[in-house]
Amino acid sequence: MTSKKQLQLAYGLAIGLFIVGVVCYAYTAFSAKPLDQPIRLMYKVAAGNVLFDHQTHADESGYGLSCADCHHHPEEDEEANQACGNCHVIPSEAEPVPKTCLDCHEADEIEDAIPMKRSDAFHKQCGNCHAEIEAGPLEKECNSCHVR
Amino acid sequence: MDKAKKFIVSHAPFWHNGNSVNERYYHIMIAALPAVLLGIKQYGIPAVGVVALSVSSAILWELAMNYLTHRPITIADGNAALIGLLFAMAVPATMPWWAVLTGTFICVVIGKHIFGGIGSNAFNPVVLAVAMVMVSWKDLFDFDGALLNYDLDMVMAYPLAAVKHFGVGAIESFSTADLLLGRQSGGIGATFGLGLILGGIYLIIRGFIRWEISVSFLLGVFLTAWIFNLAAPDRFAGPTFHLLTGYTLIGAFFLATEDSSSPVNFIPMLIYGAAGGVLTVLIRNIGAHVDGVVYAILTINLVNPLLDKIRPKAVGKVV
Repeated sequence: MTSKKQLQLAYGLAIGLFIVGVVCYAYTAFSAKPLDQPIRLMYKVAAGNVLFDHQTHADESGYGLSCADCHHHPEEDEEANQACGNCHVIPSEAEPVPKTCLDCHEADEIEDAIPMKRSDAFHKQCGNCHAEIEAGPLEKECNSCHVR
Repeated sequence: MDKAKKFIVSHAPFWHNGNSVNERYYHIMIAALPAVLLGIKQYGIPAVGVVALSVSSAILWELAMNYLTHRPITIADGNAALIGLLFAMAVPATMPWWAVLTGTFICVVIGKHIFGGIGSNAFNPVVLAVAMVMVSWKDLFDFDGALLNYDLDMVMAYPLAAVKHFGVGAIESFSTADLLLGRQSGGIGATFGLGLILGGIYLIIRGFIRWEISVSFLLGVFLTAWIFNLAAPDRFAGPTFHLLTGYTLIGAFFLATEDSSSPVNFIPMLIYGAAGGVLTVLIRNIGAHVDGVVYAILTINLVNPLLDKIRPKAVGKVV
């Protein structure tokens, strides 16, 4: 049997928790600040996603790599690291040599403006370093990084 | 003639012993609270948001269905609130609000009311909703991807994904104590092994869930995982790992035991639970999915009416 008191409790729960839920979601959305450094990154690729533990690679308690060990640009200002695609723009018919190329290269030294594929860049970056220090997954061991 | 008294029937008036559906669901919620509270402690405000929105929206969907179908208001029985709480326990703390609303809609409207309301549902509404949301938005239940920005001073890789993709070597860093104490990533209320076990034992002692289902489910998981582990110890994790990771414990104590989608007789309950446990590990070890509990429970829900055909012999003789 349902008493009036229990019905009031259910209404109270529904309304009270709904307000709490909306407030929490709003607080989470508006108070979210971008992290100084990512903790983990998920690269979503067709060959299987790759979960990269950025913190363990960068932190002093982990492998202690400096930003410049992986991020090649800009060399002096570590605070200004940005996504690869911001500079490495795919050329278009309207712009066969993207403007961003000229930020670092002279016009006459550019033979082919098509940048290296992102997957090749990542394989080279991760694989070379792991091979060099003889630790962690190697480039040919696909399933050590990619999950299917 | 056997002189032992087997069954006594007395005349009216009868005295109600005080048990009620309401009491049952509120006690199940209390039993689930330790696991939920640890999840809230770990994931903070976002987890509070998911739990609060899930419970409240489940009640509101139920209320809406009551009005739409012109039936008595049933939100006070606690069933909708419990459904909302269990759904929140299974999802990551970063679940978007629209997915929570969709999930509780599937639970309450599709999983429960379309079948005729409380006691008539063929499938556990929560499991049905988790399965549908999981299939529709796979990334939402990828705990590794969902919890990228959390650093909780523990191994943050989702244990079942780690063992599935990288083998037993990847889970050496998880100790049994860590798994028991909730030091693993996963659903908001699905990771605190000790809390779930204590909650389950409380419910069994109070008679709100049947021990036959929980124990046979856990035994099914244990034995199947053990056999796999014996056959290929480098590929398949041991039985304790499977018992304490993923949805195993919430499944054994809170999901598989749901009233209307589980059998009522002794032998069927044992078969039902054991089949769920076996299927769970089969799906985890040689299936396509990282965790098998959800699909295993849906499958045993499906065979539940068949299992209940196994009945004890009727007492007496029909002339």
